[in-house]
Amino acid sequence: MISARADGPAAAGIEARGLTKSYRGVVAVDGVSFSLPAGSRTALLGANGAGKSTLLATLATLVSPTEGSALVGGEAVAEARPELRRQIGFMGHLPMLYEELTPAENLRFFARLYGMEDGAERASELIREVGLWTRRDEPTSVLSRGMRQRLALARAVLHRPRVLLLDEPETGLDSEGLELVERLALRREGVTVLAATHRPERVGGWATGRLVLHRGRVAEDDATPRAGRRAAGAVAGGELPG
Amino acid sequence: MRAALAVMEKDLRLAWRDRAGWLTAVSFAAISVLVYSFALDLAARDVRPLLPGLLWVTFLFAGIISSGASFHGEGERGTLDAQLLSPVAPTALYAGKLLANLLALLLVEVATLALATILFDETLLTPELGAILLVGTAGYVSLVTVLATLGSRVRARVVLMPVLALPLLVPLLIAAVRATGAALGEPSGEAPWLLLLAVFTAWSAAGSALLFPLAVER
Repeated sequence: MISARADGPAAAGIEARGLTKSYRGVVAVDGVSFSLPAGSRTALLGANGAGKSTLLATLATLVSPTEGSALVGGEAVAEARPELRRQIGFMGHLPMLYEELTPAENLRFFARLYGMEDGAERASELIREVGLWTRRDEPTSVLSRGMRQRLALARAVLHRPRVLLLDEPETGLDSEGLELVERLALRREGVTVLAATHRPERVGGWATGRLVLHRGRVAEDDATPRAGRRAAGAVAGGELPG
Repeated sequence: MRAALAVMEKDLRLAWRDRAGWLTAVSFAAISVLVYSFALDLAARDVRPLLPGLLWVTFLFAGIISSGASFHGEGERGTLDAQLLSPVAPTALYAGKLLANLLALLLVEVATLALATILFDETLLTPELGAILLVGTAGYVSLVTVLATLGSRVRARVVLMPVLALPLLVPLLIAAVRATGAALGEPSGEAPWLLLLAVFTAWSAAGSALLFPLAVER
């Protein structure tokens, strides 16, 4: 295990060292090591079942690693301290929204959980930004899939996180929605982004690096700086490709 | 505390909008009391000795229905994860859910007591019974809330809740029934049932608060 750091060059970066997660003996993520610098934007690629979602959920503190360790913003994810969770914005496969509540109520509720003083204003600002202002007082259940996905994106960036972990954020979105995802999350300045995607053709527009998983292992990594790649490979017990 | 209140408000709002949980619980409680009042010959026998058992069985199942509904969908739509991602302690999330379930069930119970007062011609809305109801329901709901959390990620949740909840609730229910009997003037033995009920409630609340972070861990 590597120790948590409160500051340093990787203050808002993401690091993994031999990170492994298995469910009842089935290994989903297998000894993954990488180091994503603060402010980098990395596309996480790989076929279905490659371990992308598990990796993102582990980095988001939702899933405990079975072996190895990871740091997000300089803090060990296994400890899942409130200060760490405050830095992370996560968007998963599920909408993570209450269908009975309106978009405004959903965002205001989560803003209260993050202790945001300007929660109501921030919620209104984001609802305008994702194009749901005219639907803000309707139950989320009546919104289309694409609209819910926009709202899910707004929830993920609501608390102004320094690290964004996104699992196929483009799902269900039209071209205007895709542009919104890139503007609001993927091309966001001063935020470290790791986003799983099945649209490699759009990656060039926003990503500064690519991390490819194959059967739970890193198959390709041009996101980790060369010095970090050597360190990650040494800890993981092997050379990283690329 | 602010986070717990936010969760409580949200859960009460969801319960009001969804209606399925509390309407089912209210309907079940009302029908149960109505059926009991017809099944027992009120003119021929004194039903007072039976009332504590009848009431607490009704509260038990009404509570399982309403508390189980509070976690319905939290697992499927990922909202439990969304709350766990926030910097709020899991115990605060639990406290919010517990308060919402407690308030909702107390409303159902008071309405049931009011109906039973009319149908059984017994004075049931007394301060002493109110205190027993509050203490017993708090203990009961604290346990059911944490079990509902466990059930939110299990396919067999319909089976899990009664199978796990009922054996664990037996001591609390015995104390609640006995304390209610004593409050109605029925012979209930020498044991300090209300004190025992309070002890079971404290144990149940403390144990459940400690268990909740483990229950939501993946």
